[in-house]
Amino acid sequence: MRPRWRKVLSDLIDNKARTILVVFSIAVGVFAIGVIAGTYVIISEDMGVSYSANNPSNIEIRMDDFDQDLLNTIRKFDGIKGAEARRVFTIRLRPLGETKWTSVDVIAIEDFQENEINLLEPVSGATEPGKNEILLERDVLDELEVSSGEYLEVQLRDDTIKEIMVAGIVRDSSTGAIDFLSPPLAYITTDSLKFFDQPKDYNRLFATVEVGQDDDEQIRSVLADLSEKIEKNNYTIGRTFISKTHEHPLEPTINAVLGILMALGVLIVFLSSALIANTLNALLNQHLRHIGVMKLIGGRDQIIFRMYLVLLLAFGFLALLIAIPAGGQGAYALAEYIADQMGFSLLGYRIVPLSLIIQVAVGILVPLVAGFIPVIKGSKVTVQEALDGDQASAADDDDSADREGGSRFERFQVRSVQVLADRGIRIPRQMLISLRNTFRQRGRLLLTLITLTMGGAIFISVFNVRVTLHDYVEDIGNYFLADVTLDFERPYRLEEIKQYAHQDPRVTAVEGWSYASAEILFPDGNTAENISILAPPADSNLVSPLMVDGHWIQPGDIKKLTISEGIYDYYPDLKAGDMIPLKINGKEEYWEVVGVFKFIGLEGVLGYAPYEYISREQNLANRSFSYRIVTEKHDRVYQQVMAKELDAYFRDQGFHVQEATPGLSTMDSASESLDILIAFLLIMALLTATVGSMGLAGTMSMNVMDRTREIGIMRAIGATDREIIRMVIGEGMLIGLLSFGLGMILAVPFTYLLSAIVSNAVFATPIAVVFTPMGYYIWLGLVIILSSLASVLPARNAARLTIREVLAYE
Amino acid sequence: MADRNSPFIELRGVVKDYHSKAGAFQALKGIDLDIYPGEFLGVVGKSGAGKSTLLNMLTGVDKLTAGEVRVYTNGSSINLANLSENELALWRGRTMGVVYQSFQLLPMLNLVQNVMMAMDMSGLYHPRKSKERALELLDLVELEAHAFKYPSQISGGQQQRVAIARALANDPPLIVADEPTGSLDSVTADHIFNLFQRFLQSDRTIVMVTHDQGLMPRFSRYVNIVDGELVENGREL
Repeated sequence: MRPRWRKVLSDLIDNKARTILVVFSIAVGVFAIGVIAGTYVIISEDMGVSYSANNPSNIEIRMDDFDQDLLNTIRKFDGIKGAEARRVFTIRLRPLGETKWTSVDVIAIEDFQENEINLLEPVSGATEPGKNEILLERDVLDELEVSSGEYLEVQLRDDTIKEIMVAGIVRDSSTGAIDFLSPPLAYITTDSLKFFDQPKDYNRLFATVEVGQDDDEQIRSVLADLSEKIEKNNYTIGRTFISKTHEHPLEPTINAVLGILMALGVLIVFLSSALIANTLNALLNQHLRHIGVMKLIGGRDQIIFRMYLVLLLAFGFLALLIAIPAGGQGAYALAEYIADQMGFSLLGYRIVPLSLIIQVAVGILVPLVAGFIPVIKGSKVTVQEALDGDQASAADDDDSADREGGSRFERFQVRSVQVLADRGIRIPRQMLISLRNTFRQRGRLLLTLITLTMGGAIFISVFNVRVTLHDYVEDIGNYFLADVTLDFERPYRLEEIKQYAHQDPRVTAVEGWSYASAEILFPDGNTAENISILAPPADSNLVSPLMVDGHWIQPGDIKKLTISEGIYDYYPDLKAGDMIPLKINGKEEYWEVVGVFKFIGLEGVLGYAPYEYISREQNLANRSFSYRIVTEKHDRVYQQVMAKELDAYFRDQGFHVQEATPGLSTMDSASESLDILIAFLLIMALLTATVGSMGLAGTMSMNVMDRTREIGIMRAIGATDREIIRMVIGEGMLIGLLSFGLGMILAVPFTYLLSAIVSNAVFATPIAVVFTPMGYYIWLGLVIILSSLASVLPARNAARLTIREVLAYE
Repeated sequence: MADRNSPFIELRGVVKDYHSKAGAFQALKGIDLDIYPGEFLGVVGKSGAGKSTLLNMLTGVDKLTAGEVRVYTNGSSINLANLSENELALWRGRTMGVVYQSFQLLPMLNLVQNVMMAMDMSGLYHPRKSKERALELLDLVELEAHAFKYPSQISGGQQQRVAIARALANDPPLIVADEPTGSLDSVTADHIFNLFQRFLQSDRTIVMVTHDQGLMPRFSRYVNIVDGELVENGREL
């Protein structure tokens, strides 16, 4: 090996701590980018493939009971490729010996063998249930513990309890995909409907379209025609859903979230390049004499430049060795986690070429870009400057600025110390030295501060965003203020339910709510979107809306509603007082929008109209299927107890209870998915903080190395180990606290930015930002710990050096 | 062999000013000096007299403020002030070997690699040939047995001998040495000095800077430098 390459190799191997620092700082960024890019590609590819592999329906229609004749008609309908019908109903399940019931939607399928739409994937046990057996979707296992072959208790409409065997566990990535807040699913054959006391009729239609399976417009158009046809046959349609064949309904949301993570990954790369620039500057400073010697014996700029370029490439290559396999595994693990949460499967572990290319490009380019200026500066140093060890005059390093600016700072420091001393305040000598040292290498300080400040700002912002999101979910909870929602199989008179409910002294209020499903139409008569219209009493206290425009519903309103801001997707210029066309109970009507309120955009469009009007229209005046109950306490545990007790109580009294749901549980699933997102953001924030503290550790090591001689002189004139350590740690802490101060300020715009991006991705609406001191406290604690840790090792090294060693140091 | 009566290097009116916070300082005040082929020239002076500055002008390591340094090789002359940093580096690598008091070896390379590095930088020798030559040179300075040790594993005197072997690596006509015995004990210094004298026999020109007046009799010629001026030309042996 030529000596020049031997030297490069030795530079790489000899100072292991420095090499590890640089390699890890590159690797962290490359890893983050690799994980995000890999996940993005895997999810985009597999989500669509996995979703489409099960031949998902393009059209789902929830409607009145219908028979085989209508199904046959639909199968022949123009534009329909295939159609299947199911019966879907809700039951409650629990393992034998358990008391807690879990509601599931049971789907009855005529023939599992001939099933071609919304195919099921086997997980364990049988792939189709026998008569009076049940298959469970694997999400059910999140709620109750059961295996194939075991028995569950089933509670039927008339409260009869029977036992049923679990034939197997399956995964259904199609049926639940569109409505992720729906109950978990279970499957039976139509032969078992009698066991569940259900009629043989169907109530749900799943269809695929002939052409344009990935074209929203085309699917919508077929749906509109089909709906018309169905309604002409005197059937009432409840809700309709459309979805593309090759795009998972939640794909845009997941991609938006991955986009945010990608932005943070890019930021980590940026921060790690600041760290690399710092380290390489110091490395070249330490190598000045070597460069001088090489130039003295014939080395030209190009040779020196090439040597250090190869060193940079070697750093990049080593980082890639760590980051590529780790990033690949990380990407697959993250993709698998997301797939698991979203209920689809991946095509298997693989190397993602795009991610690999990005990683290689970043791993090679980052050190090259970050190190380019230091290397150019180093290679251009003259022999004289290099042998004198005076890069400052040659390479425009900090020292020259230090001489003038530093003296200014020193003058300021001396004056400040004098002013304080005049007032009897004495600053310890070590603190003064630490203060002075901190500002000596200003370029280095600046890069370190940028890295640590960014890390801190993101860290703090993530906590703020977390509180912001939860606060918003709590605001959304204002639409669900009831402590228990009691749904019945049939309507009951309001007075009757109130009378029974108030038998329990813990119940303070009862409201009967109504519900209507409708379609929002475009002015041309085509369907724009489904709308669920909730109908509380107009003077209900159980809804506390966040109005965006107009006002809330009022008693006496007729054909008037308030609507969630999801309506802006279809009517962007809508204002309170405008009329919109709705199709309700099969009739096209114009309704007045009296107000627009904030709500989770992804949940579709929601509306509120007065109970008084809706119930009358449905011939259910003074009666209701659904009741909201307010209890004297409102905590989660109390609500659960009350839900269970009210459920039992009403059943005992002979009412046909479908379900009793504790109020806050509605929010729990939303909060859980938010917490997953926050966990990802926090991981990214920790990665940035890691890069920041690595930067600080590197800076402190470099500062100590630069000042080895100075430390030796201090020790020669009596400074103790403890004083040296205190001085170095003081400097590290000072940098850490400075970065904390800056991070506190920077966290404000970061919080706004991150909240805006996340809320738009998750809720499809901007939300009010909330700040929490928690992130600030945790980061302050972390920064103090990190600063101390980052300084302890260099400080100990400095204290360990003997006076002879340091004074001989060159 | 070059004409011993024509100068190999000419210094004319060489001035070097330094500027510092304390003000301007003239380290060389118009030096005129001719250096002839094959001579062993001593530049003798006290610390701060300007002898190392003079040497830096000669090697092109530092820029002169006024005057010129002209080097005659192969029938043509080069004015060092006209060469860029890169040209100077290559010219220096091929034309002169430089030895410093502090050895200036690269600590991460072993002895043979240190010597090879000079050949690698100037590109005069094929890498395989350069290893053979480096071993020969280490043999010449009686260090072949230590060829694969690192600088930190040998004594100061031995390190200086490696520095000398490195200075000879590209077979340059000129060796420039700045206090090469300054940090060595007298026996080792004597040994080093003998080495330099041996090189004279191969028609090399040697310029050595020293503060040690006791060495004056051992040069073929010496000049005294005091406060940046040559005050007395040395005697001919």
